[in-house]
Amino acid sequence: MEQTVNNPAQASSAYNFAYLDEQTKRMIRRALLKAVAIPGYQVPFAGREMPMPYGWGTGGVQVTAAVIGPDDTLKVIDQGADDTTNAVSIRQFFAKTANVATTEKTAKASIIQTRHRIPEKELREDQILVYQVPIPEPLRFLEPRETETRKMHALEEYGLMHVKLYEDISRHGHIATTYAYPVMVNDRYVMDPSPTPKFDNPKMDMMAALQLFGAGREKRIYALPPYTKVKSLDFEDHPFEVQSWKDECGMCGATDSYLDEVILDDKGNRMFVCSDTDYCSERQDAGHRGPQHHDQPLGTSHSNGKAAE
Amino acid sequence: MIPQPRTADLLRGFENAAFDSNAVFRTLLDAMAHPGRIYDLPLDVPAPAGLNKSATAFLLAMADMDTTIWLSPDCASNAANAHLKFHCGSPITETPSTADFAVARLDGDLAFIKKLPIGNAEYPDQSATLILQVEDISNKADMILQGPGIKDSQSLSVPGLPAAFHAWRAENHHLFPCGVDVIFAADHKIAALPRTTRIEIR
Repeated sequence: MEQTVNNPAQASSAYNFAYLDEQTKRMIRRALLKAVAIPGYQVPFAGREMPMPYGWGTGGVQVTAAVIGPDDTLKVIDQGADDTTNAVSIRQFFAKTANVATTEKTAKASIIQTRHRIPEKELREDQILVYQVPIPEPLRFLEPRETETRKMHALEEYGLMHVKLYEDISRHGHIATTYAYPVMVNDRYVMDPSPTPKFDNPKMDMMAALQLFGAGREKRIYALPPYTKVKSLDFEDHPFEVQSWKDECGMCGATDSYLDEVILDDKGNRMFVCSDTDYCSERQDAGHRGPQHHDQPLGTSHSNGKAAE
Repeated sequence: MIPQPRTADLLRGFENAAFDSNAVFRTLLDAMAHPGRIYDLPLDVPAPAGLNKSATAFLLAMADMDTTIWLSPDCASNAANAHLKFHCGSPITETPSTADFAVARLDGDLAFIKKLPIGNAEYPDQSATLILQVEDISNKADMILQGPGIKDSQSLSVPGLPAAFHAWRAENHHLFPCGVDVIFAADHKIAALPRTTRIEIR
């Protein structure tokens, strides 16, 4: 689904370019420059009400609106998929209010807004990844007071976070946190990578693309400049590990991507499929086949695989 | 009291507020994300006396009634004041310690830079951005930069950068997460030096 628009001036004239007024965009842009200058630090900003409910990416949408220009090509993903409600509605929002080109191809996008996944394809220097963030403060469930978490960040007082991870180990034998896994940015700030699976954490480290994070309800913006050290918190005897699967993707046969489990019936049959729809379809176009692809002979399409931690 | 100029004497600002400010911001965002990398100013704007084109474009894109601007004595002029008040609506201050954006020339007196706000440990973002108007920026290896945004290392040369600047900058880097971010603004070229960048002087 490729829409190309040549003249940005044709954008829906009832709104300013990219919906937000210029003064709001300037305020967000100032916050973004500070966020890039202080990697991992949460910059407060005067978040506006957007024409969508909190939890649907109001923070990410405001960041995208402040960044996007008429020559950009926008991709929006929700849990890796381009075709889910949230992704489709945000893509249409900017197609309508900014008249920008949109794409589902990771490689063709200049701005990628994401809810909870990082594309499998390696991002480039000329791309910007915008995250929708529900709760920007990694310490919030440990310390509910903003005044205190501010102090903890100021003093680099992150012992509590290690205690939380340690409690995981003492209870489960391993660190059971699987998403929103806290990271240390540039050896200074502990940051919430937003609820991406921890599978995606290593991709943040030294990524070539600029990463911007927007939390609309909590009114915080933070950022990771390109080539910035991002380390997942762990212990020497319990090093950080990502999820792995015994199965391959049922459609494209990938063994290196993040897989979603799909329940097929009430007899225990299920399949695994790439969460990144563009990655999966690109592999299928290149001729890769998984056991449950419709090209494959019937009878081989079963899977008893089990997600392994 | 600054005499109010007649509207006819004012220079124009951006031709299209939305697209022009976006283009300038994207250049600044790229520059800030890639410290020391030199970017061309993406458009041409008339600059009032005292300011060059890059500094003017920066202020038109980023400043408004919520931000206070300080102009060093060698940048301040009636034309610059009137231009910024008309197009940005920004308050213009005489005291650098209250500035959000400070504009100065490299060949002027840099004693003020120690007075610029650096933020505090809880809100390091409440700091000033210094726009330093320079004659030229090049990739000659006078300075070797390292830090977030730089893959291996980045070379940068700003002719005429005095030792006092480097002394201040070394101190400023040490204050992280507090500190002042610097934008080097040549007439048509921009490079940024965020507080995270380490400088090795050759």
